[in-house]
Amino acid sequence: MSRLTRRELIKGAATLGAAAAAAPALGGRAQAQTTQKRELVVAQGGDISTFDPHISTSANDIRISFNIFDNLTARHADGKLHPGLATEWKLQGQTTWVFKVRQGVKWHNGDAFNAADAKWSIERTYDPAAKTRTNTVFSTIDRIEAPDATTLIIHTKKPDPLLPARLAFYGGQIVSRKYYEQVGADGFRSKPMGTGPVKFVSWTKDDRLVLEANGDYWGGKPDFDRMVMRAVPEMAPRVAGLLKGETDIITQLPPDQGDRVNANASTRVAGALYAGLYVIAVNSKVKPLDNPLVKQAMSLAIDRDLIVKELWRGRGIVPSGPIAKGDNHFDPSLPPLKYDPKEARERLKKAGYKGEEIVIETTSAYMANDKPMAEAIVAMWRDAGLNAKAEVVEYTVRAQKNRDKTFKGVWWSDPTSTLGDPDGMMWRLLAPGGPQDYWRHKRWDELGEAARFSVDEKFRAQAYKEMTAIVLEHFPWIPIVQPYEDYGLQKHVDWTPNPNQAFEVRRFNFKFKRA
Amino acid sequence: MHGRGPAAPASSMRSLVTFLGTRLLRALVALWLVSTVVFVVMRLSGDPVPLLLPPDAPRSEYARVARELGLDRPLPVQYAVFIGNVLRGDFGRSLHFREPAMQVVVGYLPATLELGLTAFVLAVLVAVPVGLLSAVKRNSLLDQAAMGVALVGQSAPTFFLGILFILLLSLQAGWLPTSGRGGWEHLVLPALTLGAFTMASIARLTRSSVLEVLRQDYVRTARAKGLSEILVVAKHTFRNAAVPILTITGLQFGTLLGGAVVTETVFAWPGIGRLAIQSIYSRDYPVVQAVVFLSALLFIVLNFFIDVVYGLLDPRIRAR
Repeated sequence: MSRLTRRELIKGAATLGAAAAAAPALGGRAQAQTTQKRELVVAQGGDISTFDPHISTSANDIRISFNIFDNLTARHADGKLHPGLATEWKLQGQTTWVFKVRQGVKWHNGDAFNAADAKWSIERTYDPAAKTRTNTVFSTIDRIEAPDATTLIIHTKKPDPLLPARLAFYGGQIVSRKYYEQVGADGFRSKPMGTGPVKFVSWTKDDRLVLEANGDYWGGKPDFDRMVMRAVPEMAPRVAGLLKGETDIITQLPPDQGDRVNANASTRVAGALYAGLYVIAVNSKVKPLDNPLVKQAMSLAIDRDLIVKELWRGRGIVPSGPIAKGDNHFDPSLPPLKYDPKEARERLKKAGYKGEEIVIETTSAYMANDKPMAEAIVAMWRDAGLNAKAEVVEYTVRAQKNRDKTFKGVWWSDPTSTLGDPDGMMWRLLAPGGPQDYWRHKRWDELGEAARFSVDEKFRAQAYKEMTAIVLEHFPWIPIVQPYEDYGLQKHVDWTPNPNQAFEVRRFNFKFKRA
Repeated sequence: MHGRGPAAPASSMRSLVTFLGTRLLRALVALWLVSTVVFVVMRLSGDPVPLLLPPDAPRSEYARVARELGLDRPLPVQYAVFIGNVLRGDFGRSLHFREPAMQVVVGYLPATLELGLTAFVLAVLVAVPVGLLSAVKRNSLLDQAAMGVALVGQSAPTFFLGILFILLLSLQAGWLPTSGRGGWEHLVLPALTLGAFTMASIARLTRSSVLEVLRQDYVRTARAKGLSEILVVAKHTFRNAAVPILTITGLQFGTLLGGAVVTETVFAWPGIGRLAIQSIYSRDYPVVQAVVFLSALLFIVLNFFIDVVYGLLDPRIRAR
């Protein structure tokens, strides 16, 4: 049975059932929009693979690890960096960052937390013996000192303006050396212990993870006693469970389910604009994609407004360039990318395009709307005179092609802005030697390298402005949409989602509405 | 009939030993073949390493992780290591969970057994009486209704049925939970979904094999003797119709294991079917190998028991 057919049929079944479960049944279930619940139940699309925060970067894992553990710095839903286990930090000279570490914080087992823990935890990510999967996150660090319990000094090899941002994302979760050495790697993976707002209680694989609120949390006890994270892989039962009131929050709500959730009396949709973009990445080494005019035509031929309206039901915005809205150095004065099929034909003519085939290798149901968007875009390209076609590849095949750099033409990429800055997005992926190194431009490379190691934000702003202009001429990425990451919530839940998938349920952003 | 006479005990003993010996040998060959096929197919289907690393990992990282997992060695060497370990009962460590693979699989087994056995018992308890009644009351309204439902049950895809049940019985009617494992109420919908195909097949087969037997001379004789209809059906018909029913029932248990893959995914049921599908997607070779090995073993053991039960039901089979 192919995965594709199964998904499509499930969608069919869901529609059929939705029609059956029409308005009267749902209207009759209007519930109070307050609750006395002391348990928060969340359902996500897949289970946790491991609790060791340094050996996984998958969204399903970090939704939990960012709550069991704390980072030194924290990126909140407003997109800004806030204090975490560090209360303040400042740059001394060009390469020395000094962090003031929070006093009086306790690990879940009652041990006192101090700066030496933070030092060991960060060093562990790049210690070859620890075999982590986050060993490249802190590659700019030269050495770390913890002269006393509340001071942490990090020396970088070159100036690194983004170090505090790096500490807020994966790899930056602080783990306890003492506990780790006591229980060993296996013990730690199965029974994690941190300083975060929730404590580990039990885990039944692919069923449920039970956590309890940390009453001693430095940021205040969260507004629940227990939290249950369930793994419900199929979308239809995940949505059904929310509508029926079994779950308080569901993740990964597809755009076409939003109306159902909003129409139901007791539930609503909450979304955050994705900290990143959905782009078509281009292998600019092959013909005819080595010609900027062809790529300009490809961009001009795409009616992005139509895609946002029809496929995203309005849950997204049209990008203006390669920097996501909400990131540092996003230029609000740039207009959204233009749709002009006539101009596209002109540029193809000017490029001397002779009908060479352009293949988009798309996954199916890996990214939201990947295949439907690929099909729509192929049709738009064909209308403009491009000989385009879509080929569906399985996610594993895509991962191998990514590693081997063997994409035939163009493919989907959904770069996350890990640092809230173009350095953590376009430079991370498109830089020389990066995973999407299929295009080189001397000036662009120089600017990216200089901006990465500059602590002068004025210079960086100028550099990213120029880099954006170069991208919009050469299109190593053809940005398509910046969608919302939507969640389904009970109306008795008051919660603000974070744009970067770090699913935070802390006192400042989560509470149950009480009567 | 053979084997009756002075030499009988020794020869039947010998034939029993031969029977068991052949069976065991066949089982081992089957297990070896299944393991080998899975080993090869999994490795042809894709590399797990890119899935374990963030997309921006440098090439040296891929090489390091492949080495760490022993996946950089030539395939024949990997195969030799794999077979050697399996002989010692070691299926390797899960790439995803980083725990011994067989331990992971065994942890998922109780959920599947609970669901599978419930579905199976439910299917047999409903299907056999319904099939029997349908045959006895042939062409009645009951027969037509039952066989109509059975046809739907046999042809509706499992996932479609599952989602339909969730939307109608759980979301709209509000009778049962939508998904997950818990008390008996969590078991009803997945067991119905998983058992639907089996139930339908057994009901249809029961009906046709009972009809077949009802046409036999000895049934006519029994009726002519003036036995009550109940006795005719219970004593003379059903026992003779039981062998084909048992065959399909045994085979259906295998189908249940297969159906668990879809049912467990739809209902977020933490069993080995769902584990299998996830491990295939993440190319977690050791877990896939352990799941398939264990399922094959279960199937073989089950078939063995069915053979033994045949012998009890039908002396002609015992003698062969």
